[in-house]
Amino acid sequence: MDLDKKLEILADSAKYDASCASSGSDRGGAGGTGAAHMSGVCHSWAADGRCISLLKILMTNECVYDCAYCVNRRSNDSPKAILTPDEIAGLTFEFYKRNYIEGLFLSSGITVSPDRTMELMLEAVRKLREQFRFNGYVHMKVIPGADRSLIDQAGLWADRVSVNIELPSDKSLRLLAPGKTKATVLTPMSRLAGRISASKDERRSIKSSPAYAPAGQSTQLIIGATPETDREIIKLSEALYDKMRLKRVYYSAFVPIMKDSRLPALINPPLLREHRLYQADWLLRFYGFTADELLDEKHPTLDLSFDPKTVWAINNLHLFPLEVNKAPYEEILRVPGIGVTSAKRILRARRAAPLSLDDLKKLGVVMKRAVYFVTAGGKYAGLKKESEEAIKIKLLEHKNPNGQLDLFGEKELMKEGLAGTVSGQL
Amino acid sequence: MKTYLYDGSFESFLTALSRALGSAETCAIAKEGAEEAGLFSEFMNSGTDPLRAAAARELVERRGSAESWQHVRFALLSEVAGAETGILEYVKLLAAKGPGADNMLADDRVRKVHRLSASVGWEAHMFKGFVRFKELADKTLYSRIEPDHNILALLVPHFRARLGTFNWVIHDAKRDNAALYFKARLVYAPLDSARLLEDAKEAEVRELWQHFFKTIAIKERINPKLQRQNVPLKYRKNLTEFET
Repeated sequence: MDLDKKLEILADSAKYDASCASSGSDRGGAGGTGAAHMSGVCHSWAADGRCISLLKILMTNECVYDCAYCVNRRSNDSPKAILTPDEIAGLTFEFYKRNYIEGLFLSSGITVSPDRTMELMLEAVRKLREQFRFNGYVHMKVIPGADRSLIDQAGLWADRVSVNIELPSDKSLRLLAPGKTKATVLTPMSRLAGRISASKDERRSIKSSPAYAPAGQSTQLIIGATPETDREIIKLSEALYDKMRLKRVYYSAFVPIMKDSRLPALINPPLLREHRLYQADWLLRFYGFTADELLDEKHPTLDLSFDPKTVWAINNLHLFPLEVNKAPYEEILRVPGIGVTSAKRILRARRAAPLSLDDLKKLGVVMKRAVYFVTAGGKYAGLKKESEEAIKIKLLEHKNPNGQLDLFGEKELMKEGLAGTVSGQL
Repeated sequence: MKTYLYDGSFESFLTALSRALGSAETCAIAKEGAEEAGLFSEFMNSGTDPLRAAAARELVERRGSAESWQHVRFALLSEVAGAETGILEYVKLLAAKGPGADNMLADDRVRKVHRLSASVGWEAHMFKGFVRFKELADKTLYSRIEPDHNILALLVPHFRARLGTFNWVIHDAKRDNAALYFKARLVYAPLDSARLLEDAKEAEVRELWQHFFKTIAIKERINPKLQRQNVPLKYRKNLTEFET
């Protein structure tokens, strides 16, 4: 099989992995080729609008497992291919020097055994680093069930490592992924977490000690293949950020590729739900929210018609309106229509002069949403008598000026212009 | 009104800035050639005076900060009409208010320069991703770009750090200026790219990339609008994966 055909098969099977980040590492060095950029660099965007920064491929799409949700399951009789370590390293290098990519994202189905698979992947990345003296970004999947010593090596060569949880509960794993359990996924994850934090500590005292996965660890959850609620998913993410110190949790709307009686018969992947989960995830990581503030047992589902911050604010009207000239940063961040950038701008600008409502617009605040929740110099331009319902109706009018409600469909997604993003910025 | 003309170089601009700051009248700054637009203004050639240029820089850094100086440099690189006079108004404000002026984010004079500067910084960041090299027969890597702003010099340190062991060229075809990096030395020069000969293996690698690019999109999620937001059509001409 020629390289072109192999690449097609192995990129096609890797595309469902949502991770695309190339950030968090500043690798570099004299003599070699390449460097990693702390903030990451996107190189292109595919027809689905998703960013491309890495050569995202599987080493092989052969697999000994038969997971129902997975395109590479053993019982799927699509054509199989395998790339040699030389081919992977060579291809990455040729793409990199043309600035097509930031580096390599290497995942794999399981060929022969987890150990054998991991050995071949490590061989490819070692070649890239040693033979090609490549200092660009490498994201490496760790194969659940592989020997500890092999898992340990991954973080020595890669900038980022990850193990995909895929299904957000043990029950779903048992149902759809008979070869896996929660333990086979979480054991390597917590081992990696330990190595990463130990290496960070070491490097604080001895700068020259080798970095272990300097860009940290991430994982992915599939959304909509199994019955977990948004609350269960966001609670899980919160625990992964707090306990496992993960850098990112990715959410991947389930795309039904194969029919299976254990899977739901979805017509379209739940993109809006995925988008809301990303927004909630952002609130956990950058806005100081906890999962319990966003969703509780009575309301376990994210509202599809409003972003989660707006929902939270409407449910907590007693905290508003906020005086932007006085309120602390943490509180300003919680106003709908104000993001991290505009909150920082507010703090900076009010040092120079008191801000008016007009000024807020100039600072980049989305006033059509923020107007109900702020005062500036005591002035309020929201509703005379605010109530949850009144604000909701006003916000909906902004979204649907023609009065048409299309909350769950394409139109809503297009209007937010965010379908398929993994950023979910508010 | 007086308009001070500069020859397009940074030093000449700073000379014009210094002259305009010294004038008691309302002034503008524009590139040579602006007088042909026939505006009702008195035009003065500023020339290039290294001492005046240094003084203008010193003023920005002393009354403002390193950040202010970067805003001035970047805003000028925007090549947006009116940027020069915008910088003049901004520097006047710095001179009057001191470093606190950069906090006046709702002030239109500050906003204008900060925005131009951010737009240049943003495009320079995007082009760290959008530069596409092809390998020539002599193994030099060649890239053609046509950015809105004059960002070539901002890209060079990034590629020097990554591709320091290669010879490479980044050619701004819009401004006919190329950064030529050869044996770890850098020069800027105009370039005739018509006769550049591609390496024999180049087409093969290009096709692999184009094929990868097509394959990686999930067809159930096709979203041309989102793709257009991220890769504006104006940039696609020089992007290998959008070639047909």
